[in-house]
Amino acid sequence: MSEERKFICVSCPLGCGLNVTLENGEVVNVTGNTCPRGAAYAKTEVSDPRRVFASTVRVSGGKLPVCPIRSKTPAPKAKLKEIARAVAELNVKAPIKIGQVLIHNVCGTDVDIVASRDLN
Amino acid sequence: MNNNIDVLIIGAGPAGVAAGIGAKKEGAERVVVLERDWDLGGILQQCIHPGFGLRTFREELTGPEYMHRFIQQAHEAGVEFRTNTMVFQIDKDTNAVWTMNKERGIECLNPKSIVLTMGCRERPAGAIRIPGTRPAGIYTAGTAQRFVNMEGYMPGKRAVILGSGDIGLIMARRMIWEGAEVEGVYEVMSWPGGLRRNIAQCLDDYGIPFHLQTTVMKIHGADRLEGVTVAKVDDKMTPIKGTERYVPCDTLLLAIGLIPENELSRMAGIDIHPVTGGPVVNDLLQTSNPAVFAAGNVVIVYDLVDNVSDEGLIAGANAAKFAAGKISPNVKRIPVKGGENVRLYSPQFVTGEADTIIYMRVTHPIEQACKVIAEPGLYTQRLRYARPGEMNEVRIKAADIQAKPDLKEITVDIQPL
Repeated sequence: MSEERKFICVSCPLGCGLNVTLENGEVVNVTGNTCPRGAAYAKTEVSDPRRVFASTVRVSGGKLPVCPIRSKTPAPKAKLKEIARAVAELNVKAPIKIGQVLIHNVCGTDVDIVASRDLN
Repeated sequence: MNNNIDVLIIGAGPAGVAAGIGAKKEGAERVVVLERDWDLGGILQQCIHPGFGLRTFREELTGPEYMHRFIQQAHEAGVEFRTNTMVFQIDKDTNAVWTMNKERGIECLNPKSIVLTMGCRERPAGAIRIPGTRPAGIYTAGTAQRFVNMEGYMPGKRAVILGSGDIGLIMARRMIWEGAEVEGVYEVMSWPGGLRRNIAQCLDDYGIPFHLQTTVMKIHGADRLEGVTVAKVDDKMTPIKGTERYVPCDTLLLAIGLIPENELSRMAGIDIHPVTGGPVVNDLLQTSNPAVFAAGNVVIVYDLVDNVSDEGLIAGANAAKFAAGKISPNVKRIPVKGGENVRLYSPQFVTGEADTIIYMRVTHPIEQACKVIAEPGLYTQRLRYARPGEMNEVRIKAADIQAKPDLKEITVDIQPL
């Protein structure tokens, strides 16, 4: 069974409009991309869509009341809400170092939540 | 008073930090960056989402991560930073820079050259005169971003976003991730203000409706915002009767444009371009005052921080050259003109001293194959489309300028093929 889908590639600021052809749920053709990342994006978007999650955690004793965090690698899109809740429950003591792992394997996704700035 | 400062940079955001690095690399002895905030990084401190530095670092960093790398480089290069330091005056004739700091008091600095890197501000609510009341709950998107990402406050529970600039799109997703509701994004123009990928990953991902040619007509609420009336507009941006709709909300975020911040530049008597809102510069990023350079969003509002950093490096390096007496007062001054569909561009003059990039934006989108050109015969590049929200550039080689000694003017344009 053949299916056509359209995506906007989010790999870079160009934002290419991708036309994706699927056969039995598998990507068989991608057009509209400028570079190979577009085709790779289409494939993961169909099989295992992921996004980098970025938010803040509460901080005690820091110069700011919150510290920015991110998922070190892209996390499964379907788990983002759950990850947001897990991150919201966290309270971290300053000082915090950029890259410091704050939650290991968040929500069983194999993705780490890390601090994205130094905060004293 | 002589403080032995070669290059003084105003603002430690991406442009200023890069300018510091550029100046040190060019050999300037003493390079000082002044910053009014207690920390370095400028607006990128609050831009905690990924998407920065793909070109510079080959990976997508968050704003704080991007600045962390540049700040480290600046420290290694020997750039001096003074935080909590506000510049309140630049004297027109002497280029003296007056600063204020809680510990140091008021100081007068006399650097050999200055780089302006004050960035830009958001266009405020007052600029668009929406009828109705003036309750609490109306913020520019960047103010809300600072509340959420740096101060730990949520501006509200149900937001409407007016304008589709990138900060508004990013904040739509941010509000969702913090558990709020976003009723929709409204854009008065018939095309989006921000990047398409932000519409995809910030709105479409979360099913947030995006309404083009629709605007907020009225604000309702006494103490706190209770709702807004939205309506569709025609091609002349006049509201269409009968399309009004009341939208209950407690928060209205405005993402309606950015304006270069040039109070100091004006005070210093520097020529400001009427369209960009930034200093008129040549390709050395030198302003109408030869000792004063400018880079980044204070000159023209860029889409990408990579470009801001690039321009900062150039301005810093040229300010260092000026401080060392290595820039001739008689550099060429070939004016750049914009074609019919070019809304703004920078720099406005080309010297031919170095290869250069002229950045520009179209007025109206061209949704077909087109070309970006610099005439006479200096550059041509095919494009799949041109959109106001996505900056275009032409690259000009110094050798090509030097090979045309009679060149009187350069025209940049984007035309359909």
